[in-house]
Amino acid sequence: MTKLFKKNIYCAQVFLIIMLFFIPFFNFKQYYMHIFIMICIYILLTQGLNLIAGFTGQLSLGHAAFYGIGAYTSALLSIRLGVPVWLSIPMAAIFTGAFGIVLGFPCLRLKGPYLVIATLGFGEIMRLIFLNWVKITRGPMGITGIMSPEPINLGFIKFSFDTKETYFLLVLLIVILTVYFLSKLINSKTGRAMISIREDQIASELMGVNITYYKLFAFVLGAFLAGLAGALYAHYIRYISPDSFVISESVNILVMSVVGGMGTIIGPIIGSIFIELLLEYMRILQEYRLIVYGLILFSTIIYLPGGLAGLTGSAFKKISLLLDRNHKIKYTE
Amino acid sequence: MFFQQMVNGLILGSQYALIALGLTMIFGILGIVNFAHGELFMIGAFVGYTLTMVYNINFFLALLLSISIMAVIGIIVEMIFIKPLRKLPETSTIIGTIGVSVLFLNGAILIFGPNPKRFLTPYVDKTINVAGVTITQQRIFVFFISIILIILLGQFIKKTKLGKAMRATSQNYEAANLMGIDTDYIAKITFAIGSALAGAAGTLIGPIFLVYPQMSIAAMTKAFVVVILGGLGNVEGAIFSGFALGIIESLTAGYFSSYYKDIVAFLMLILILLFKPEGIFGKHVIEKV
Repeated sequence: MTKLFKKNIYCAQVFLIIMLFFIPFFNFKQYYMHIFIMICIYILLTQGLNLIAGFTGQLSLGHAAFYGIGAYTSALLSIRLGVPVWLSIPMAAIFTGAFGIVLGFPCLRLKGPYLVIATLGFGEIMRLIFLNWVKITRGPMGITGIMSPEPINLGFIKFSFDTKETYFLLVLLIVILTVYFLSKLINSKTGRAMISIREDQIASELMGVNITYYKLFAFVLGAFLAGLAGALYAHYIRYISPDSFVISESVNILVMSVVGGMGTIIGPIIGSIFIELLLEYMRILQEYRLIVYGLILFSTIIYLPGGLAGLTGSAFKKISLLLDRNHKIKYTE
Repeated sequence: MFFQQMVNGLILGSQYALIALGLTMIFGILGIVNFAHGELFMIGAFVGYTLTMVYNINFFLALLLSISIMAVIGIIVEMIFIKPLRKLPETSTIIGTIGVSVLFLNGAILIFGPNPKRFLTPYVDKTINVAGVTITQQRIFVFFISIILIILLGQFIKKTKLGKAMRATSQNYEAANLMGIDTDYIAKITFAIGSALAGAAGTLIGPIFLVYPQMSIAAMTKAFVVVILGGLGNVEGAIFSGFALGIIESLTAGYFSSYYKDIVAFLMLILILLFKPEGIFGKHVIEKV
């Protein structure tokens, strides 16, 4: 029964994913399409942070800096050097991944508050560079006129990525591939090594886990995902300025991960969807909405340490247990 | 030029020292890194602003009132927000105080509006010229009042029974509890002192710059730089590195460009964390497994 249940869940997942690709054909308002795209970008960001903070246990407040590096790199490559967007996005992601080493290396020896403050300092340095390196980044004026990805002509069908619908398909595809890759990664040797570092660094070192390697790996992959998200954001919004990559953005990404549930794959997805929709729905509350947002973060930490994913996780366990028990009773009869 | 920058640096440094003192005390005694400390500074500035600009109270009286109001606010914040966080793992307490900071920042935006406000006192425009160095009266007050507050705090911690209890709690929370010290009470007092100092800094510096809700973010990041430079939990270190950072920043701004002063501060932060995470004055503690 549990096996069947699991199989059903698997089918439901596949069905759900296929359904997601049909969203653009439902003629949603442009405003909703914008929210869907932003949810996808936030899922990439929160998955990256979740890898660093949730699985490896290195709480970082500098994630918006990686997001910004990705956005600026891709925008500048495509505008200044004329690199095709399809090439500049992966290049920006790889470049940001390299910056993961720049932050990860000094952070190897730090933990707890020292680590958080160091990453905060890194975030501020990057923001100040975006703001003051006027020759390259145009400073507070930001970069305008970033192009969308070049259209793809498949002969029978032509995708041009300047509409929200097609751009949504692109980011959705990237998100699904990322989530699939991450769920495989977490259940592999690498994932278990990362979790062991979070649980007890000394014990895992004694067990022969190469802590330096796995910590840096988490930072690089997390930065890579944030860079990818930044590049996708830049070519979607087509205007970037240092205002988009401030501390409060790092906090925002952290809130989404925490409320969704750190240290799970599904958590950041739930968190991104929940917080993004909540912030949009609460527009009626106007200025009160960000207060509610602070309260949500605070009460999640106190009352729901596992986040929303912990909540659904325990409910899910109960249901499958219930089904299992029924099955056993039938069997003994 | 050099003396002018030195004087500016000392004044800026006295503010950094005041804010960082509270932050480092709260860490030393409660073991909590208070990410909402910048917000306490900002609320202090708004309390001072409201008292002087709206109720037309004399600036010095307003300063005293603002210090007392912030002490009460500190106790309330400790009771509502910090106490439930104290028993959680370290990462959770950090995230929790970040939540409190988001709450306060947006609460302030709601109440006072996002736009910068001018906080005028009669002393902002009056300048004094000593040996080629021009200072406004307000800046002189800022400097001397900060020094007085720091000395008072030092005497309080050294001489009084309560101060002794605070030192004991910072050395070992549980042992202090077993010796009959009401550590919950000490936690409240610590938070009250920390908020009062932040409030004093806000009311003092508000008239020199502008008062607006987002000032809390810059204050918080700078306070962290100071606290790390001096060693987390180290009171003397925080005072010294507060002044040191103020002087370094204003010299950088004077001789190079004001663009670089923040970058210099954060680079110092990263370098210290890389090579001497226990701070300039910290003793090297060998961590036992």
